[in-house]
Amino acid sequence: MSKYRRALERLVDASAKERIAVSAAALALSILVGALVVFVSGIVATCASPAFSVLGVDVCYDPINVFTELFLGALGHPEQGGWSPTNYRIAIALQQTTLLIFTGLAVAVSFRAGLFNIGVQGQLVFGALAAAVATIWAGAIAPTGILGTVFLVPLGLLAGAIAGGLYGALPGALKAYGGANEVITTIMLNFIASNVAYVLVSTFLMPESSQLVQTAVIPAAAKIPNVPFIGFEARDAFSLLALLGALAFITGIAYLLAKTSFGYDIRTSGLQEEAAAYSGVDAKRTTVLSMALSGALAGVGGAVWVLMVKGRFLTGLPSLGFDGITVSILAGNNPIGVGAAAFLFGVLKSGTIAVDFSTDVPVELVDVLRGLIILFVAMPEFFRLIGKRYLGLGGEQRA
Amino acid sequence: MSDAITLTDVTKRFPGVVANDAVSLSVESGSVHALLGENGAGKTTLMNVLYGLYEADEGTIAIDGTPREFDSPRDAIDAGIGMIHQHFMLVDTMTVAENVVLGDEPTTWFGLRTDADAAREAVRDLSERYGFDVDPTARVEDISVGEKQRVEILKALYRGADTLVLDEPTAVLTPQEVEDLFAVFEELTAEGKTVLFITHKLGEAMAVADDITVLRDGVNVGTVDAKNTTQEDLAERMVGRDVLFEIEKDAVTAGAVSLAADGLTVTDADDVARVDDVDFELREGEVLGIAGVDGNGQAELVEAITGLREPDAGTVRLHDEDVTTASRRDHIDAGLAYIPEDRHERGLVMDFDLVENGILGAQHGAPYASRGVLDWRTARDHAEDIVDTYDVRPADADADAASFSGGNQQKFIVGRELERDPSVVVATHPTRGVDVGATEFIHDELLDRRASGDAVLLVSSKLDEVRSLSDRLAVMYEGEFVAVVEPENVTEEELGLLMAGESPEGFDE
Repeated sequence: MSKYRRALERLVDASAKERIAVSAAALALSILVGALVVFVSGIVATCASPAFSVLGVDVCYDPINVFTELFLGALGHPEQGGWSPTNYRIAIALQQTTLLIFTGLAVAVSFRAGLFNIGVQGQLVFGALAAAVATIWAGAIAPTGILGTVFLVPLGLLAGAIAGGLYGALPGALKAYGGANEVITTIMLNFIASNVAYVLVSTFLMPESSQLVQTAVIPAAAKIPNVPFIGFEARDAFSLLALLGALAFITGIAYLLAKTSFGYDIRTSGLQEEAAAYSGVDAKRTTVLSMALSGALAGVGGAVWVLMVKGRFLTGLPSLGFDGITVSILAGNNPIGVGAAAFLFGVLKSGTIAVDFSTDVPVELVDVLRGLIILFVAMPEFFRLIGKRYLGLGGEQRA
Repeated sequence: MSDAITLTDVTKRFPGVVANDAVSLSVESGSVHALLGENGAGKTTLMNVLYGLYEADEGTIAIDGTPREFDSPRDAIDAGIGMIHQHFMLVDTMTVAENVVLGDEPTTWFGLRTDADAAREAVRDLSERYGFDVDPTARVEDISVGEKQRVEILKALYRGADTLVLDEPTAVLTPQEVEDLFAVFEELTAEGKTVLFITHKLGEAMAVADDITVLRDGVNVGTVDAKNTTQEDLAERMVGRDVLFEIEKDAVTAGAVSLAADGLTVTDADDVARVDDVDFELREGEVLGIAGVDGNGQAELVEAITGLREPDAGTVRLHDEDVTTASRRDHIDAGLAYIPEDRHERGLVMDFDLVENGILGAQHGAPYASRGVLDWRTARDHAEDIVDTYDVRPADADADAASFSGGNQQKFIVGRELERDPSVVVATHPTRGVDVGATEFIHDELLDRRASGDAVLLVSSKLDEVRSLSDRLAVMYEGEFVAVVEPENVTEEELGLLMAGESPEGFDE
């Protein structure tokens, strides 16, 4: 018992360097376990042309090949000749990173305030819809070219922030003034958001020619431009400018939490409600405001998805909001960490496509590998969080 | 007589601190031994080493003369040591008997079924043998704090403990329950058990212990026979200097009314009045004490006054300003300082360091924030000032609040609240869990505020504290002020009766 306790103490007391080392070790271990899973699956599976044979047993999948694709293929194989840092696969990885930074930050802000905003997906949906509608409507009066971009892109982002913010403030207000548990309400509001968006688009916003439930295409000037770094192709649906914007948001949220009175209120409320009330924090106001901020970040994420990736709103959005929860937990709800965790997710996403493209491994198995990696990397942080609570029970022991 | 426990040169280090420095200690079998020391003197660390929660860096432990090594509490329990922690570890929804046998249940059906009857019988036998008045079938959530403590003791006895180690057992008890606990100690030693208890209260150690060991800064500064020592001698050993027990209070002329309540009523969720039509006026340069048994509405009264809760009826006035419905922030801005009774939940954010905790309540506005942006440099200077002035140990403003001992946490809170230069101070149990040296210091600080013309509202269940500090003393019983007296004109017995809701014979307000 005390052996485990000592191990837990070491983990809780780990320095930043040690934590990075632990994460790296966890990553390596997850690859090892994943390789074993691929190997065993390869024995069980039947295929026309086995990757290799061991002791007369045919093995369909080559674990080394799978992981090479998952990590290096995700970046377009930098180890091979003719590699360019602006290739298609890197664009996919960075596009996902950009989107997940917003949803990850949204979750992180709410978690730090002690609120479990599971409704980031719904706020993202409304943010995306608002961005599309606003830019399409304003497109009629906006100039074209760079001037139009300067007007339309901020407008789209703002519309997304407002829509997501209001949709986040709603469960915040329900909790503050009605005592409704935000976990329940935000989960329900996710369904409401996607269904309401479906009805709105199919009833009012669908071009007549369209087969899918989607809006018209946003004006060309409303797309987030691929400047100032020329290189990624337009079809990559990725803009370095958007990534820089996401990094600016990381800095902004980190600053807000660490350096402002409002951030102090948020953190105090998240750690100890009673101490927050004692210090004069208006709990109701802070609940509504933090949920609004969280929703606004999700809404901006949705706007970026429209303005950078799709160029229109269409129903059936990817589950960026739910992935944001994992990203935030992986990052220990730390804004800077959200950047790193989002990048890991982006690489894994791009890697999944690469594996699917160049090996016979079924995509479900790749999902298992991704899950393993995330689980392994998240566990040490998870145990640190729990360990802090657990060891903290003794309270005044360290006399 | 042999020794039940012998510690030899036990040293335990934490990063940056030597919590126990070559401590040797012998506890005679069948005796009551008190381990006395200030907060942060290393008492609890030493007991955790003995109980196998910590591994000593150096030194040895012997039980009944046999050297032992404890890797876990399980080893300590097997060696006949039972520990009763300050915070009870009971399952509220289970009965007393279920709690006592938990993890060590008598079973039937070859170990498949818990034998509830046998458990009840075993607990009843134990409790009768030691004269405990505990009903084995009662649910733990329904019994008093004193009874819960006896359940913890029963748990240890049930597991065959010969030596009972109690960490600050009286901290959570009422004076009557303390008496009962000491009676239990006598029963235990009469049955041949050994009792080792941690305390920072001199009076208790002298009243009940046979031997007293004083710990200061992690060092054993001597074991004395309780019969051959004095309070002054013990205090000097503990603190390392002379301690004045008499509080010297200068005469101060009371000024204008700072804080007033009129018809103040607070009801709980069941519509029961917790504070019932209370009136008072508190003037500049005055200390108004509120005495009473915990749970008679003091907490609700303080919450209504400090802006944490809106009263259901009546008004509160702060410097002629009606603040009945004003926010907590408005109260803070109006110069009201509040030293809360619950430092772990309310007074400090345990995961914040002292720099962050130093601005708790002042995070908006000058001097720590301007236009919503915090000035951490000023905040750091502030925290370091408090640590310096109020002797918070260890003097590390970057350490989390959770890592400090209770007394040092309290010193920091008192420092933070008083350094804001308030005009009204509401202090609830300001010296609860605080050692004698720090208590003296906190009392002096409160009287300093009074001398400089501030108004102080003091809520405490320590009779000597409210009596010696207060200019006027209100006794609260079931939500009402049953009497407001001059502390000099009332005896402790009369106060005790008033607190119990009875009117002393021939008592005249």
